[in-house]
Amino acid sequence: MTRRDFSERDIHLALDNELPGDERAGYEAWLEANPEMKARSARYASDNEALHAAFSDVLDEPVPARLQNIVIGETVANPPASRSKWWFAAAAVLLLSLGGVGGYFAGAIGLDAEVGPADRLAEEAIAAHVIYAAEKRHAVEVPASDKDHMQTWLSNRVGLKLVAPDLTEDGFELVGGRLLPASGSSKAAMLLYEDASGNRISLFVISESAAKTAGVYNEEKDGPTAVYWLDRGYGCAVVGTLPNDRLNEVAKRAYKQLVSSIWS
Amino acid sequence: MDGKKAAILGEIPRLRRYALALLRDRDAADDLVQDCLERALSRLDNWQTGESPRRWLFTIMHHLFIDQIRKVDRRGEAAMLSLDTDEALAAPAEQLDTIASREIVNALHAISPERRAALVMVAIEGFSYAEAANMLGVPAGTLMSRISRGREELRGLLEDSARRRTLRVVEK
Repeated sequence: MTRRDFSERDIHLALDNELPGDERAGYEAWLEANPEMKARSARYASDNEALHAAFSDVLDEPVPARLQNIVIGETVANPPASRSKWWFAAAAVLLLSLGGVGGYFAGAIGLDAEVGPADRLAEEAIAAHVIYAAEKRHAVEVPASDKDHMQTWLSNRVGLKLVAPDLTEDGFELVGGRLLPASGSSKAAMLLYEDASGNRISLFVISESAAKTAGVYNEEKDGPTAVYWLDRGYGCAVVGTLPNDRLNEVAKRAYKQLVSSIWS
Repeated sequence: MDGKKAAILGEIPRLRRYALALLRDRDAADDLVQDCLERALSRLDNWQTGESPRRWLFTIMHHLFIDQIRKVDRRGEAAMLSLDTDEALAAPAEQLDTIASREIVNALHAISPERRAALVMVAIEGFSYAEAANMLGVPAGTLMSRISRGREELRGLLEDSARRRTLRVVEK
């Protein structure tokens, strides 16, 4: 064991694993003999833990698509502004093809159709809708009265810039939202809406998707229907038990607003 | 996708954490990460093979952060927000779920950007003093003093806000 005098400086060295191994025992003995220094070391150690706790959630979050795309995309050389326009254009093309089929989502419209993830999105969205839309008092975690907070929170958790679409033209008011697990380790945002006669629809939004497709999904004849679309980096399903043409109208309005908020 | 890109992709969560600790605001943090990735990809050749992509990326990010801080300084805006606890507590909760974590985030933001960066690199990101000094481009002694001063300052700020909280409780 090396003999030397220790000082406050060594508290930092020890905390940061910079104290040589052969000085460790001497340091510990010094701490024991100096209660004030020992207390200081404990306070610094707990500050370290608090720092870790405050920021480490971000490690478990899915990487936002916009960051991932910089690395794996082919548009690296372009300045950011033109990249987002490029994405917006791609989304607009999808919207046109959705609206183009007589303004009606007739069956699955496959654009590079990849059935797996789309079915999964639709199934998860329907399952969430069946459980939560039936709840009277506990349908949402954050009520519409706290909309700004809800949007910030869900955007952060899901990894997309999420603005709850305004569906009042279709007669639907926002009830609120909640965070849900989605397939893989990702997270989904669920936004619930209600019309004057108590019909409820939900929007189920995810940020992870490699497929590009859109369609309509219905599990059971009288069960809710999901109108969904997936694009690279995000996906959404609108679920409800409305007549098909009304659900499509609402879905289109929601889609336009969601896409423009995501790429705003 | 080649190996270099895959390695960079794997570092994004750590870069986001570092940026969030430096800037506190999520959108600003991801913007910083985005700038960092764009610069890294445009200079892929500067990354020496065999070297850790982590240190290379953190070095790039730190330079961008310091540039940004200087620009803000030049425009005459306050580079740091004052530690007004009442105002901070009234702000939207963002990712900060408890008063304790909000207080430490505010305190970290109130210390100088240089000390903050040094402390975050070592205390949160777990880099050694030698690695951190190298990435920040300062001598080891400077790094050490930034860490110890930063930590003392942080503790002082936390004790101040704890005292203010106690006072408020007593006043009620």
